Amino acid sequence: MTDKQAVTLSINGDPYEVLAAPRQTLLQVLREQLSLTGTKCACNNGVCGSCTVLADGLPMRACLMLAVAATDREITTIEGLEADGELHPVQQAIIDHQGLQCGFCTPGMVIAAKALLDSNPNPTLNEIREELSGNLCRCTGYVKIADAVLSLAGAERGQN
Amino acid sequence: MKYIEPASLPEALEILSADDEARCLAGGATLVAMLNADLVEPSTLIGLRRIDELAGISVSGDHIRIGATTTHAQIAGDDRLTGNAAVVRDAARQIAHSAIRNMGTIGGAVCHADPNADFPGALVAANAVLEAAGQSGRRQIPADEFFLDYLETSLEEDEILSAVMVPVEPVGARGRHLKFSRTHGDYATISISLVLAINSGACSHARVAVGSAGPAPVHLAEVDALLTGSDLSGETIKQAGQKLMEAADPVDDVRGSAEYRRMIIPGLLQRAVDELR
Repeated sequence: MTDKQAVTLSINGDPYEVLAAPRQTLLQVLREQLSLTGTKCACNNGVCGSCTVLADGLPMRACLMLAVAATDREITTIEGLEADGELHPVQQAIIDHQGLQCGFCTPGMVIAAKALLDSNPNPTLNEIREELSGNLCRCTGYVKIADAVLSLAGAERGQN
Repeated sequence: MKYIEPASLPEALEILSADDEARCLAGGATLVAMLNADLVEPSTLIGLRRIDELAGISVSGDHIRIGATTTHAQIAGDDRLTGNAAVVRDAARQIAHSAIRNMGTIGGAVCHADPNADFPGALVAANAVLEAAGQSGRRQIPADEFFLDYLETSLEEDEILSAVMVPVEPVGARGRHLKFSRTHGDYATISISLVLAINSGACSHARVAVGSAGPAPVHLAEVDALLTGSDLSGETIKQAGQKLMEAADPVDDVRGSAEYRRMIIPGLLQRAVDELR
């Protein structure tokens, strides 16, 4: 018996009613039941950052959050960043700086960068590198991703 | 597997004591990863997030009470954790990455009792007391007696960790958690948690614990005694580091050989002292 229960989630401002087994993660529900596949699954262990979403504005791992424990939280996924057909500034900056290759890490990277800029609108390169160190990219070597985020900081600043 | 979110601690304790295979879920940072990897198969998960008394930080009299479901990020961001408690805050801000610090809780971390984690050593250095709630009442367990072995604590199966109490005394003390790790956000290869008070050049209080150095934090009363009353000279620190190195029983793994880990201890201790002096 799977003990599925009705769960109400608030995702990108919209309410969703799903039936979820207790051990299903928010990541599984997003991808498999709601077809919100922008949020990626790689390590499924909290380490790689590819499933990073915002919960009440804070970056969290969707793979470590059970769907049944994600109720009463405002979840924002990569699909929720675009507004009125315009990409979010972080998304546009990643494109402008060619901060992606295969793109698999990019949604998590964008969410982590948005969270950083929301809490610290003028981060230094070191702060950006530190904050994004929880998101692994196997292609880019990170330089262009950090450059993209830095371009959104108030002004380019030195290492410290 | 069932999932229940009780609204009170007594209710949670009742569910826990009625079911041997039930497990408590706080932030999920460790337990959900273990579920994903099929390492655990609880019959019931008791979600603790609705239990108000387990959440948040309060200062009362001679201690700072950190509720079990307080996240690492909340601890890292709370400037009331100064003096003796600063070592706990310093440890919190070095755990993994912000997405994990926003989820993981101090109660979950200490109950998991991974000796490579940051809180165990910091709580021993801060002389913290862990409050365990059971159906018959609460008991207080000094951090030194809480961490028994790899992933093993002195918490009973039908108890829930309700809070971590960090003493305010000694008031003039300062704390530092120094972490030597391969890369940012990794577990420590070795960590030193140190609380020091210095009065007119002489050390009036010292408590040091070493993490990632064996199945539980390495803490030696004789090392604290050696440092306390001393002028913290290079020679004294070297002796203290030597004793800790000899007591350490680390493992060989991807983060370093046992020998390498031991060899880091004296230098890291010296660095921690230098930063607090």
